[in-house]
Formats: sequence, structure tokens, C-alpha cells
Amino acid sequence: MPAPAFYDYVRGLTDEVPEGYTLAGMRVYRHLVYLGASQMVEAHFPQVRQQLGDEHWRTLIEAFVRDSAWTSHYYSDLKDEFTAFLARLNQ
Amino acid sequence: MLGLGYRRDMADWDMSAVAADFFEVVPENWVRRDRAPLHQLIAGGRPVHLHGVSLNLGGTSALNRAFLNEIRDLIDDLGAHHYSDHLAASGDAHQLYDLFPIPFTVDEVRRVGDRIREVQDTLGRRIAVENSTWYTNIGTMSEADFLAAIAEHADCHILLDLNNISVNQKNHGTDGLDEFIARLDLARVTYLHVAGHEFDERFGLHIDTHSQAVEPPTAAMARRLQARHGLPILLEWDNDLPDLPTLNQELACLRPPSTTTSGA
Repeated sequence: MPAPAFYDYVRGLTDEVPEGYTLAGMRVYRHLVYLGASQMVEAHFPQVRQQLGDEHWRTLIEAFVRDSAWTSHYYSDLKDEFTAFLARLNQ
Repeated sequence: MLGLGYRRDMADWDMSAVAADFFEVVPENWVRRDRAPLHQLIAGGRPVHLHGVSLNLGGTSALNRAFLNEIRDLIDDLGAHHYSDHLAASGDAHQLYDLFPIPFTVDEVRRVGDRIREVQDTLGRRIAVENSTWYTNIGTMSEADFLAAIAEHADCHILLDLNNISVNQKNHGTDGLDEFIARLDLARVTYLHVAGHEFDERFGLHIDTHSQAVEPPTAAMARRLQARHGLPILLEWDNDLPDLPTLNQELACLRPPSTTTSGA
């Protein structure tokens, strides 16, 4: 399996490129995961994106991905993870 | 035999006008959804294959029995003959809803091969693993040798994605179609995937977007493999889905000349 550092980079927990991997490739993976999270959350909470605007939206989704420990096999369950994430933020 | 990835966007299409002999869906999308459209296709004599995205064969989480039971129920409900997932990780111990590279090493052949065996034992049937696109990876083996070794170790099938071989070759200078395929036992291959991809200048890499027509060399190889080995071909088109006539034209390009039927 790839070393933990691989997924730390993907989640945005570190900007250090894991040994043996390329920066370009790691950026693609981080981008794809961000996009996947952003699209699913936006599909369920379009008003949040509208209210936040692009910059704050990006910051929020990046934090959501950094904080992630998602376990469901079903991508659409991300909406529940997002709700739980917001609840943690507000604590 | 030509197949097409079935998308939800096709819900209001006249599917009888689609020149495909079989279809493929992402099982995770249909476990909790009304399967009437799929049963309609099956009743019309066109089977539906299952191609999963979340099995996390390359990850470290314990295999999820409850999920595998749901997949087994879906397989039974649809009478599906093919269930596959990617030779990739869907995350580490968690899901990240994308596909990540498994290092091409002997240790991973053993570890991931054992996970595939466990899945097969739980489902009571063989699965196929698909060679995936990867944007950076480490390891000591070539991808083709890694795939072949995994299939041997797990005694599983291979879903051979020709587009992914081409994307990886363009990005990394790795094996082209001929070299890659020469390393495999074609008797293990269930069917072929073809698709299109795009260059993304933000990263300087070709990305496996499934949003374009199939490249001529990829289509030619698929036709050749079908003619010589009888391997069915499935066209994946997931993003920027074109209209039905365009899709049918794309499917016609994949049909080996000898099997072209008039009016199709």
C-alpha cells in the first residue's frame, strides 16, 4: 500500500511530496478528491455554496477533506458526512 | 459483442435504439435505487454487467461484509454474470471516492491478491480486476507484470481497459498496447473497456475523463482482440455525454467489419 504520507498529501495535511511520487501526479489526486467532495456537497447544499462564494467554499471543502475519515461505500453518503462535519465545526 | 456504460442521464432515452448488446453500471449506484430501468434492459435480452468503484482492493480497511452482501444481492437480483472493480485503492483505511495507485511490488501482489481472494470467497464467485489509470506511482515491477501476477495469485479475471493503458503510456512512457497485452494471459480477460481521455494543462498530464471519442489505435486494438479472441468491447462515456446518434456512431466504429450488420 502507498505510505500514509501519500494520503496525507491527498487530504492536504502536508505539502511534502511522498518519496518516489511526482508532484504533478500528487496534485492530480488532491484535485480529484477535492472535486469529488465539492460536487457531491454542492449537489445537496447548493445554497451553502451560493452564500459562501468561491473562495470561502474552497476553504470549507478543503477543511472537510482534510478532516475526512469517510467509511461508506456509497459516495452519496458524503452529504451526511458533511452535515456531521459542520456540526463538529460549530461545537 | 458491443456494450455501453449505462448512465442515469439515459433514463428518458429510447434504449431500444441504442446499438449495444449489453450494458454496464456502477453497482454502488444501484444498491439503493429503483432497478426498473435495468430490469427492462435485461428483459429485452441485453445483460447488465457490474463494474464497482469502492471495493478498495488496494486499501487497508478490512473488507466490508455487509457491503459485499449488498453487492451479492444485487448480482442475484440482476442475474449478473460479471462483477469487477479496479486494481486500485479507494482510499487508505477510509474511502476518498477516487482511485489511487497500488505500488507495483511483489509484496503488494501478495497482499492485494489475498484481498481479492477474500472477496471471491465471500461472494462465492470470481471477480475481475481492471487495470487503472495512475498519475504517479512507485514500485519495482511493470504494471502489466503486476496485473498478470495479481491475477495468477488471486486466480481472478481481468477487465482489460485499453484506454487506461494508453493514458498511462502517454503520461509515463510505460508499455504501449502491444507490449502490455503480450504480458497477459488473455484467457483471464472477461471483456475490454474503451473510452476517451483529455490532456489537462494544469497538471501536464492526460486525465482519464471518459468524455471523448475513442482514439483510433485503441479502437483498432479492441476490434482486433474481439475478432481474434472473441472479447466483448464496452464503451465508457461518463462525462459530456453526446446524443444517441453520436453514441451509436461511436459504437459502430468499434464493431469488427466482419460482424457489421445492416441497419444497426
